[in-house]
Amino acid sequence: MSETEPAGTPLRLVFNGHALQARPGVSLLQAWIAAGLPLTENVGCMGQGVCGACRVLVRRPGERIAGTALACEMPAEEGMQISFIDHFPARRPHAYDLSALTDSWSIPDQIDAVFPEAKHCRHCSGCDRACPKGIPVQRMVNLAAEGQVFAAAALFDACVMCNLCVAACPEHIDPAHLGQFTRRMHAALTLRPADLMQRLRQIEAGEQPIDLDAPGASPPVQR
Amino acid sequence: MSDAGMTDGGMSGGIGFAAALAAWDAAAPAPARACGLEVADLLRGFHPDHRPGGMVSLVAGPNEGAPCPAQLAVLLQSDSLLEDVDLAGATILDADVLVLGGGGAGCVAALAAARAGARVLMATKLRMGDGNTVMAEGGIQAAIGAEDSLQRHFEDTLRAGHFAADKALVAALVGDGPDAIRWLIREGMSFDLADERQRMGGALLRKKPGGATAARLLSYRDFTGLELMRALREAVLLQPGITVLDGHPALELLTDDRGRCGGAALQDLGQRRLVLARAGATIMATGGAGRLHLAGFPTSNHYGATADGLVLAYRAGARLREMDSFQFHPTGIAWPPHLEGTLVSEAARSAGARLVNGQGERFVEELAPRDVVASAMLRELAEGRGIGRDGKLGLFLDTPSLEREQPGILAQRLQTLSHLAHRAGFDPAREPFLVRPTLHYQNGGMAIDTDGRSALPGLLAAGEVTGGLHGRNRMMGNALLELVVFGRRAGASAAADARQERPRNLGLNHLAGWRRGLVAAGLGLEAKGPLLFPPYGNVTPQDLRRRAA
Repeated sequence: MSETEPAGTPLRLVFNGHALQARPGVSLLQAWIAAGLPLTENVGCMGQGVCGACRVLVRRPGERIAGTALACEMPAEEGMQISFIDHFPARRPHAYDLSALTDSWSIPDQIDAVFPEAKHCRHCSGCDRACPKGIPVQRMVNLAAEGQVFAAAALFDACVMCNLCVAACPEHIDPAHLGQFTRRMHAALTLRPADLMQRLRQIEAGEQPIDLDAPGASPPVQR
Repeated sequence: MSDAGMTDGGMSGGIGFAAALAAWDAAAPAPARACGLEVADLLRGFHPDHRPGGMVSLVAGPNEGAPCPAQLAVLLQSDSLLEDVDLAGATILDADVLVLGGGGAGCVAALAAARAGARVLMATKLRMGDGNTVMAEGGIQAAIGAEDSLQRHFEDTLRAGHFAADKALVAALVGDGPDAIRWLIREGMSFDLADERQRMGGALLRKKPGGATAARLLSYRDFTGLELMRALREAVLLQPGITVLDGHPALELLTDDRGRCGGAALQDLGQRRLVLARAGATIMATGGAGRLHLAGFPTSNHYGATADGLVLAYRAGARLREMDSFQFHPTGIAWPPHLEGTLVSEAARSAGARLVNGQGERFVEELAPRDVVASAMLRELAEGRGIGRDGKLGLFLDTPSLEREQPGILAQRLQTLSHLAHRAGFDPAREPFLVRPTLHYQNGGMAIDTDGRSALPGLLAAGEVTGGLHGRNRMMGNALLELVVFGRRAGASAAADARQERPRNLGLNHLAGWRRGLVAAGLGLEAKGPLLFPPYGNVTPQDLRRRAA
């Protein structure tokens, strides 16, 4: 991205079938751009590593198995073979209505009703290997299936919605969506801050008026 | 993405990294040096909005005569990519409400419209969620503290924006703030608590954003936007009545023979074809313009932030405001080059991290409004007190002193920041970040009323694409609040409007007059817009259209 970077021996990569060269230190996404290839998808935050759009399969020389990564975070290495992975949604939506989850005694039943596949986890660890953020996905699935909502939700704190675990799961558990289900349930059912509720009561009672013509709402008079 | 900077000679050089590190180490915690300049003079002298020759006057369209950055003016005064004949044979989709953009504002608007009974089509250029919202780190403002009030939030926002904002819009923004937080919790978003054990009846953790008179910033760790977007994405996917079209950028708005907006012409990037989305009401939620790299600055924005919505709305007759005002976030990465422009959250300064120049001095109150801090930093760089490393110039963000004063804060509260340092190849507890201002936010945009309606009938707007809420400088935490408050307002208004109006006689009716205006102003029809992707995306909209043929 800059002309003043230190020089180094160019790295050779094969990316989506294109043989290209990259400067040492650049990310796979930057290597794609620098090679002049068109970029209209598999891109979002461009380096912050939070949007999960730039999903790739990566195989290093001598490796038998290709692994998954985010192209904006993975530095280019000599001899890498890389392929973008399209985004495709889960096979079927696991439908629930968060506002209808009013009976917290029935949480295990509700998790089982919405995600019946979760109890069929075959412990293959495919989801764990797929996750570019190192989340113990399989453990989250198992905890959620046991109704341990808080523990499951905590494990999914770092999820960036890349959905690679959804693609990896042979039982169609859709771990990413299950993880978000536990996280959303955790917040929606248990987060009740008193200070927020007090302020809402005051607003509803008309005790927080806004005066558009207050002295502080206009520039200070010039001295 | 190389940076020309705002001055030619002054930016080069600076103090060498090793010497600066020694000066910092000897003086830490850094002593403060007086600014010696009035705020107005500091902004006039060093803010990129004021650099000589940066602005031109618009000569066509609703804002004729208004100042605007030259690069943006070319796009705003460009001709359409489409002709009437292109519409023939295009696939047609019908909805009550069309939402353009799939970031935070688009998702909230789609949810609000669908829950008000509308059939919603949400079209987005990239993928749902892949926008600036998910990248937001610091937090969201809402006046919930006992010592705080809606009035204080109102006045703080106006003052930070140099009193250029629309008071009615700001009152709506801050007044809906606490309810917006409750709405987000109901959607399943978590917030940090003062005491994590007190989930029921406790207090939310509050921090003080730059320019505020009270601790009002609510957060989820230092990835508040990601937490917000995760909840919204699931909500949209599960909401009956919303159809999401990823990879469908808008090329033009559709207007009827009375000039009313009735949908948009979308380019289906996957199938390489044109799709006409007809709707009773259209909500513009296309975000900002950081990827135009105004004034040659790097940007913290996502890949798609190319001002497309502004271009389409302006061409169809919507009025814009404060288009000459942009926010440069003080702390973008200056080194290493492969992370240049990436944001270091204001959460670091909120927590107490100081900015230090090459002489080991503090030179600004770190929690002053962003435009003041950024200008003070650009002054240090221009006057030779910056720090040079491998040809990149920046200033220190002193994370080691922060960690010494609040042990454990980097690992617990500033995870994104620690992760970023790791990717840059250093330990933030031992070495400071090298930072410089980065193009962050479009303060102005489409003029709207408190219901989210623009001046063009049938067209509403929400989020960064709008103007009037932030005046000439946005406070930290008001962008996430804005997208929730005005997403909800625009979504509800659009659902109501769609019940009144059905589109008829739709086409590119506004283009004949627009083209006459461009020719009359001597601009010609060569420049085309919107841009869709930045130049280093190696693809133009014309390429995409040609491949479609």
